[in-house]
Amino acid sequence: MTLLSDTSYLFVRYLKKLVRNPILLFFSLFQPIIFLVLFTQILSKFSGLIPLAGGSYLEFATAGILLQNAFGSALQSGTSIVLDIDSGFLQKMLVTPVKRPAILLGRLTSDAFRVVVQSAIILGLAYALGAFVTTGVIGIILIFFTIAFFGLAWSGISLAIGMKTRSSETVFAIGGFLTFPLLFLSTALFPLDFMPSWVQDVSMFNPISYAVNAIRVLMTNGFDWGTILPAWGVIGLVAVITLSATLYLFRKVVS
Amino acid sequence: MSDIIEVKDLTLVYSDGTKAVDNISFSVHEGEFFGFLGPNGAGKSTTIKILTTLLRKTSGTVTVAGNDVSSGAPEIRKIIGVQSQDTTVDGDLTGRENIILQGHLQQMSGAELKDRVDELLKLVGLESAADKRARNYSGGMKKRLDLATALVHKPKIIFLDEPTTGLDPQSRLAVWSYLEKLNKEGITVFLTTQYLEEADKLCKRLAIIDFGKIVARGSPVELKREIGADSIRIGLENCDRDREKSKNIIKTMTGVKEIIDSEECINVYAENAALLIADIVRALDSSDVRLTSVTFSQPSLDDVFTKHTGRKIRVEELVKAPSATFGGRR
Repeated sequence: MTLLSDTSYLFVRYLKKLVRNPILLFFSLFQPIIFLVLFTQILSKFSGLIPLAGGSYLEFATAGILLQNAFGSALQSGTSIVLDIDSGFLQKMLVTPVKRPAILLGRLTSDAFRVVVQSAIILGLAYALGAFVTTGVIGIILIFFTIAFFGLAWSGISLAIGMKTRSSETVFAIGGFLTFPLLFLSTALFPLDFMPSWVQDVSMFNPISYAVNAIRVLMTNGFDWGTILPAWGVIGLVAVITLSATLYLFRKVVS
Repeated sequence: MSDIIEVKDLTLVYSDGTKAVDNISFSVHEGEFFGFLGPNGAGKSTTIKILTTLLRKTSGTVTVAGNDVSSGAPEIRKIIGVQSQDTTVDGDLTGRENIILQGHLQQMSGAELKDRVDELLKLVGLESAADKRARNYSGGMKKRLDLATALVHKPKIIFLDEPTTGLDPQSRLAVWSYLEKLNKEGITVFLTTQYLEEADKLCKRLAIIDFGKIVARGSPVELKREIGADSIRIGLENCDRDREKSKNIIKTMTGVKEIIDSEECINVYAENAALLIADIVRALDSSDVRLTSVTFSQPSLDDVFTKHTGRKIRVEELVKAPSATFGGRR
């Protein structure tokens, strides 16, 4: 299977690029970690006031921070394709017999891998602060799966914007513009009951709420499939839309 | 000799209606060192993109090693190497890793690839820098690495789009010698360049393209012989005012074959040019035409180029502006 081997070569290329830019890696982890520490410290006294489904606010917020991290990392995805287009590296790949989808798959799989590693670091830190995943190892695996899947779906948006605009600044600007409203208008950091009713309405339609709820029940409640499966469904739907757009635009770029 | 590249009635119209390539035909023999010259925007890069399967032609037939570019693209990609105008090496990877990645994408692996990589690093003289990140390479080193990546799979044909633009003279000489060596080993070389002396030195045959059309083709010697005369390039202080007057004066002199407008002002082609210079200077001076320069030369590809395109080839920005990275270079 040359598609598989081509994907793995490009997967390795992206990982090497990532590891060799430790400053970028550090700062993309920096924000979620600051959030994790600040939010849980600042809001620790509210724990009694905020109606939580179970567990502490730290555990509640960890799920949201994991999602925020996935969101932030995924949105950088598009800048890489812009760089490859601008530098001519994409063209260089295209004059080889490399399987075309491998160029996207290599990128997407490395993004997913990256977000899982970062999530493991955040979970480790949360554990050190006192958060605990009740569903154990299998639960952690399912959390990673959900986050990677979520990251894939949002990488699609970033890649599509990158290929459409051919500008990494635009990718960053649109990404930054999307992150905070989507995050705060979801159940990522505050429970539903704590929000004014219009925010509740918005957050019910916000795909981030679904993903975060699934991770949260895995952390604090258990294998609540009634929450997990719909979340995968919503993420799947987003993935289909964003990745189709990406594929469509990619075809236009390569032909 | 069989033809490894055949182009017949090739036309490419971009979606905005620009006709970048207009019904051109040419062929390249197997093992040949072929030059493709033209001013910027003449259609050189567009033609290369079609030949290397990056761009779909509008009409015409193009075959590379017997494969049609429309239907046989995957086959073509296995046997061509391409060095594009922009140097495209991944700065985060080392020199060695850049070549290995390209080898992987060409379905190579294992000891075969490893040996080939060592061989190429030696060929382009990057052995000692092989395990440093390409980001820290000088411009010349990056170009050499880029060439090595294009050669990893021992292509039958190598396309080089201005491989020496932006290089210092020493690096340029080094690149020339690799290219000659490769060609001696039997690789067909398809070269575009802005440096006519480069084409003159390396290419066995060349074609000149201008405004999407091929205006001349042949060996450098044939093309220069076609000029059949030495040239005197004359610059005038007030070219617009004095051009026609001067041409009329020079036209009557014996031995003058042709006078054309040029960037300096006018070019005179004549058989006994060296002897004519004094006459021209005297005649123009006594007619109150002020000269700024007079240059004599035997026919060069510059003259061939000027004759067919009406202008000198423009060598733009010899040294490209440094890329937008800060610091980085040691």
